[in-house]
Amino acid sequence: MKDDELREFDALGLDREIAAPAHMQQRWHDSIELAAQNELRAQKAATRSFSPMSFFWGAAMTTALAIGIGIGVFLYADPESIDTNQYVVADRADAFGRVMQAHLRDTQDDIASMPIDMAEDRTLLVLQIIQQNRLFEQAAERNDADSLARVLRAFEPILMQLAAADITPEEAAALREQLAFELKVMLTKLERDTSKQVTST
Amino acid sequence: MHTRLKLLFVVFAMFATGSIAAQDGNSARDKQELQMIALEALIHVPEERALPAVMKLLETGGSDELMESAMFVLSQMDHPDAAAALVSYARTGSGEAQEEAIRMLGINGDAAAMAALSEIYASGDEDVREAVLEAYLIADDVDTVFAIAMAATDKEDYEKAVEMLAVMDAHEQLAQLREAKGSSEALIDAYIISDNHEELEKLARDGTDPDVQIEAIEALGIVDGPNAEAVLLEIYKGSVDNDVREAAIEGLFIGDHDQAILDLYRASTSSREKGELLEALVIMDSDLAMEVIDSALAGDQ
Repeated sequence: MKDDELREFDALGLDREIAAPAHMQQRWHDSIELAAQNELRAQKAATRSFSPMSFFWGAAMTTALAIGIGIGVFLYADPESIDTNQYVVADRADAFGRVMQAHLRDTQDDIASMPIDMAEDRTLLVLQIIQQNRLFEQAAERNDADSLARVLRAFEPILMQLAAADITPEEAAALREQLAFELKVMLTKLERDTSKQVTST
Repeated sequence: MHTRLKLLFVVFAMFATGSIAAQDGNSARDKQELQMIALEALIHVPEERALPAVMKLLETGGSDELMESAMFVLSQMDHPDAAAALVSYARTGSGEAQEEAIRMLGINGDAAAMAALSEIYASGDEDVREAVLEAYLIADDVDTVFAIAMAATDKEDYEKAVEMLAVMDAHEQLAQLREAKGSSEALIDAYIISDNHEELEKLARDGTDPDVQIEAIEALGIVDGPNAEAVLLEIYKGSVDNDVREAAIEGLFIGDHDQAILDLYRASTSSREKGELLEALVIMDSDLAMEVIDSALAGDQ
């Protein structure tokens, strides 16, 4: 995301509230911890088996998160370094649309450059994309962009599958293609809507 | 309008070119690429014109990728026929195509179409039911998932719905479920997922169902809330039940509270217990383990 787009995002007043969803970070940390501890525990002669959490797509997530220990989860510039007084958002909806377009473009680039054959690198990249995606999904909700929020939420199960270390390169390629197409359509739609607004004013 | 008509003409031409390319027999991939580009271009075309083109493509059939993409384009249309078509595919399709159509209904969010999901859930197999829950997640429809959990008579259906509520951070609904249906391992998993250490603490202190209590004690270590260490120590010291005490150690172990385990080691007067606590420290790869080992070798208590 470019500096001016970051300023727009900051000026929307969203980032400080949602850039660090502590409970989510904690939950991820817990999952990482659980996966790591389970490996250690396998060495222990346990008298009673312990069943780890098994939610919807839990296995894939836990595997992915185990590899993702210690990653920096947010890719955004330090909000402290942004002077919001230097930038005035003339139209919140316009600014929101532009920021979302920037996010979708960034995700497109990330997806396109994704190392399909290197599972660990792919997982790390996808985990970062998931974090970003959640941030923007919450931003969409707060801006009453329900349709966009639904699409961003729909990306997550696909991203979860893509983060799993045990999928084949062919499966990963297919998931990447699906995401790339859906991103492209959404970007086209957002650009179209922005263009309509500009034309009608 | 003139430009749009031209664009529509180009789109149809691209679909047709795709067919010709396929007839050449050497560029099925080219055909698909063209069709994908055409699908994307349809976003610029008025829906009443774009809809028949997408429907025709879906009826003609193609690769899974192409069909999924066509359904995604449908999901982005506000035209009621688009949602109706997705409902039709969600009802009559099979395998991945059906699951994808269900997902697209969640993305589309049309209220009437979403209503059809409950019937699809009721008549679908396990994969279909899972896809429907995912559609509700996408549409952020907590109430319906809660209703499914409340009405569930099958254990697995109940667990899947509870897990989905946890993913959706539906704390209030999970609390209502506990009141209505009692505690269960599924709820404990849900509390882990939704990071609800308060509810886990209640279950960890409640010995009504020993299995649930033990799972909850261990889960406290996984979630590792602000009071986890103190609560686990309290449970350990306050119980004479070996399983409960062992679960508390597991919780401290999972939460990486090596100092607490060391304190228990020092306070213990049982060689067997000391051995177990030392073993936990060693497996945790704690620096404190060497301290204990040195003391033990020196004959200190």
